[in-house]
Amino acid sequence: MIAFQDVTISFGEKTVLRELSFQAEFHEKIAILGGSGEGKTTILKLILGLLRPDRGRIIIDNQDITTMSEAELRKIRMNFSIVFQEGALFDSLNVYENVAFCLREHTSLKENEIEQEVRRLLKRVDIEDAIYLMPEELSGGMQRRVAIARSLAACEPKMILYDEPTTGLDPLTAENICSLINELSEGSPPDRKGFIAVTHKVTDAAKVAERFLFVKDGKIEFDGNLEEMIRTDNGTLKRFINELLILGDSHV
Amino acid sequence: MKPDLKNILNHLQSFYILSIKAPLGMFSRPFYLRETIEQMDYAGAGSFLIVILVSLFIGMALSLQTSVELAALGLKMYTGKIVGVSIIREIGPVAIALSYAGRVGSGMASELGSMVLGHQVDILRVFGVDPVKKLVTPRVLSSIIMLPALTLVGDAVSLLGGYYIAVFVSHQSGPLYWSQIKDIMDFNNIFSGLSKPFLFGYLISCISCYMGLSTTGGARGLRKATTTAVVLSTILIIITDFALTRILIFILGMKV
Repeated sequence: MIAFQDVTISFGEKTVLRELSFQAEFHEKIAILGGSGEGKTTILKLILGLLRPDRGRIIIDNQDITTMSEAELRKIRMNFSIVFQEGALFDSLNVYENVAFCLREHTSLKENEIEQEVRRLLKRVDIEDAIYLMPEELSGGMQRRVAIARSLAACEPKMILYDEPTTGLDPLTAENICSLINELSEGSPPDRKGFIAVTHKVTDAAKVAERFLFVKDGKIEFDGNLEEMIRTDNGTLKRFINELLILGDSHV
Repeated sequence: MKPDLKNILNHLQSFYILSIKAPLGMFSRPFYLRETIEQMDYAGAGSFLIVILVSLFIGMALSLQTSVELAALGLKMYTGKIVGVSIIREIGPVAIALSYAGRVGSGMASELGSMVLGHQVDILRVFGVDPVKKLVTPRVLSSIIMLPALTLVGDAVSLLGGYYIAVFVSHQSGPLYWSQIKDIMDFNNIFSGLSKPFLFGYLISCISCYMGLSTTGGARGLRKATTTAVVLSTILIIITDFALTRILIFILGMKV
């Protein structure tokens, strides 16, 4: 379980999250919505212990990670994997080496076994043909697919964190990425692999998530399912949804 | 990075930790041999031509200046000795280190900086990989191996440049020039000249990696990190050179 308890974090003069609290289970399919600069990515980094809050506690698996050392955090991070907005592939390594990275670091598999596993993962995200390409030779959608494959090689995470998974992609590629996210979280709770996707693309979020959190001014203004979100009385959220729907997501 | 005292102390503390952790990383598993070799290739082989060029012209300029002054005093025959001591003890290590900071140090800072901005360093941490051990240790190790090696090459080329000017421009005797060089090749001079690049390599790589890893704020932040890495390295090379020269003179019992 993940629990944020009154978490506050500032960068310089700017307070990004103010006493933010929420709870989530590893098997949940969650979308965190909000505008740019509202601290959505910061929430993901806090979950992974990549940032430490100024105040408040973050509990993962009944352990307070805010006081943990880097070595202790490594064990907590094994529960997760993350796919950053632009994929964050290692640009000095080709696709094969990017996906094999974690296997080489953390397993004693032989090279032919690593190759088999890499091919299996690339096939799962439907990008096997790009195995020996360099990251700069890939399109945005392909980079994200490779990043997803790499995240799956990361010691079987219980939950995947997606940072703006469809931003900057054309509608068809975004659709493919949404299908892939759904595929990877197939099954019924509590056995399935859950995810938290932060995004400002509400239509894409609606395709994949079952629970929606809306972040505004450093706080969670809404927490509920799709139906509740559509019927919300929260004026800001209503405007956020309407604006996106009227404009059409890809134009925003 | 605001220039307030708390911020400066935080940076100093983080730099201190990195500069201790990075060399210690060489002695524990996992060993990143491939990364170290790649860095040695980038830092060493990649800098070879620049070092040759810089050293050749420094040696020629120094020989030319020295010959002119000594000719006025009728002491041209000492050109080799003065050029040799200056190059081996002082100018060679400092000039090569400054070139190294400009080429390799800036490269390290910008490469690590863009890895930070592109979340690649975050990914390493999420995958349970220590970024200092994976990224900094190979760069520090390659620098403390390659900078002394480059300095050796640079010194040799400078002496050849000095020889060319002494013999073909200043019309001195070639064998005399080399015998003067041979005379100054004692333990004190060689030790003075070759101990410095180890420390310079360590300093340049630690500063550059630290600046790269603490990059914030996009392209502007990257520019600032790279510039700061080169400026700090340059200043520290000059200050450390003076301090080290003073210490070596004391340790080796040389008279001032």
